[in-house]
Amino acid sequence: MSDEKNDLPEETTSKKTGKKVDRRDFLQTLTAIPVLGLFGYALQKEIRYNKAQKATKTGAKVPPSGLSDLNIALIGAGAQGEVLMNAMLKIPNIRFRAVCDIWTEYSLKKAVGLLNKYDFDVNGYEDYRELLDKEKDLDAVIIATPDFWHAQHAVDCLEAGLNVYCEKEMSNTLEKAKSIVLAARKTGKLLQIGHQRRSHPRYIHCYEKILKEAKMIGRIVTVNGQWNRSPQPELGWPKRYTISDAKLKQYGFKSMAQFRNWRWYKGLGGGPIVDLGSHQIDIYNWFLEARPKAVIASGGTDYYPKATHEWYDTAMVIFEYETEGGPARAYYQTQTTNGSQGYYENFMGDQGTLVISESAAGHSGSIFRQPQAPDWDEWVRKGYVSAPEIQLLKPETEAVLDVRETISPDEHKVPIEFNDPYHKPHLENFFNAIRGTEELNCPAEVGYETAVTVLKVNEAIEAGERLYFNPGEFEI
Amino acid sequence: MEEQKSNQLQMIALVVLRMMIGWHFLYEGVAKLMKPNWSAAGYLMQSRGIFSGIFRWMADTPSVLSVVSQLNMWGLTAIGLGLILGCFTRAASYAGIALLVVFYLCNPLFVGYYYSIPMEGNYLIVNKNLVEMAALFVIAVTYSSRYVGVDRILYKLFQK
Repeated sequence: MSDEKNDLPEETTSKKTGKKVDRRDFLQTLTAIPVLGLFGYALQKEIRYNKAQKATKTGAKVPPSGLSDLNIALIGAGAQGEVLMNAMLKIPNIRFRAVCDIWTEYSLKKAVGLLNKYDFDVNGYEDYRELLDKEKDLDAVIIATPDFWHAQHAVDCLEAGLNVYCEKEMSNTLEKAKSIVLAARKTGKLLQIGHQRRSHPRYIHCYEKILKEAKMIGRIVTVNGQWNRSPQPELGWPKRYTISDAKLKQYGFKSMAQFRNWRWYKGLGGGPIVDLGSHQIDIYNWFLEARPKAVIASGGTDYYPKATHEWYDTAMVIFEYETEGGPARAYYQTQTTNGSQGYYENFMGDQGTLVISESAAGHSGSIFRQPQAPDWDEWVRKGYVSAPEIQLLKPETEAVLDVRETISPDEHKVPIEFNDPYHKPHLENFFNAIRGTEELNCPAEVGYETAVTVLKVNEAIEAGERLYFNPGEFEI
Repeated sequence: MEEQKSNQLQMIALVVLRMMIGWHFLYEGVAKLMKPNWSAAGYLMQSRGIFSGIFRWMADTPSVLSVVSQLNMWGLTAIGLGLILGCFTRAASYAGIALLVVFYLCNPLFVGYYYSIPMEGNYLIVNKNLVEMAALFVIAVTYSSRYVGVDRILYKLFQK
């Protein structure tokens, strides 16, 4: 005890000066070193953890090398054709050989001009049959024509021995959609339907990791989703590029206005429920791993003039499913008069909620844990979801949690960053399937199932009653 | 005896307090150094109160911003090391207090101010920055580093 006195700093003990530095001084000085060591150890652990998290986040995909070149043609160079073209221009080893569009003075010229800029020597065609006759070394065709043309274009291309990427909806009638499936089977050629979310890394991550492997949200009982879009004027056209009535008639259009706005016309397109809803209802079937048993729907042309908008501008739909875990109900709405809250799909299970959307701007993947669910620390460590974000009560609130309210759940993010054009992974999947290195993510049968599901909505609105799906309906 | 024992315990308590504050400063500095392109802009931009004009000007002026960011990152790191090692402890403590004063003036917690970078917990005027500041004041005016720390040797070598 006597030498404890030496331990204390000078001020608290004596005023001696000129003391020599002894061994004890060194020891007590060095006491800080283990603390620094501990800090270094903790820091290094954290750096490693962050690195591992980052690696799973980016998927660490190896850039492809030694891919064979594919020769392709685009049939239909309108708005959607342009979207696909721009996505394909970002994919290596793709050689554009030909483009076809009936609007030769406008869409065709524009597409050929763009591809020329990228050093593709492409031929332009008005008639796809001429294209098929003359272009002999094609590997694949991309079809982005109006829905009512899909069947004829796809079937003829398949029968010409080409692999086909066909935009959704497969067709505007099930009969014609069926003919595509049969042609794909008969020819043995690849057919990918353009439900591009099927190849989106975020959706694949949610399906494979969050739903299938980790079962994080538990049993899904309800689903809701929407595509809300702001009012849009009818599409016009530069008058000097008007197509002659005779030519329009030859290709199935009554007028230039109808040619530009075909999506709204019965017999040509399917309206917003098909244009927008189809993509998301496809996800319902995929994530629920089921086909609906029945559908209830209400809709109508409530806002736009009926003469130019034959299909419903508003549709509200409930699908009834029997999933492996039990019954599930899925609501979907599409409306075209107010774009607030955009578009997303929301899966609600007894252990959590998954909100996802293709959009990079909003709803790019959030997952909420129910307070009573088992903790998700393992999945956070594995990088399946981000660490939770604290849900703060608004400081202004005077509301007190009462017994009917449950505590708001933690929010996690789906940690998949995706900054490519939306259609790029789906097109890449198609091209790699041709090369034999991948399986198609949306083959004919899957596209057909979705067509059956979605086209029934328009029928149900028209019928004004609940319609049942016959399980055989989904099969061919 | 009793007094000695309690003196020693006080010293241990102060050393522990000093090292914890040091750890916190060090990690605040290192974490920012490890983030590529970390900048003080976000924090400065949401400044409230009478000095908000100056802080926003710092955030808006790229040359000033980069100096402020660097000073902050390296300052935090150096102060943290100083406090853990007990090296130039008094200088490190006052520097830490100065930094915390600047942080508090930048984002004072007065009634009716709302910040978009959320804070955990509930505070009325006094937040953890102020508590840490007070704790550093204790460290600055006591001599824990002459008990455990590099200052023990420095003091012995250089005292007159």
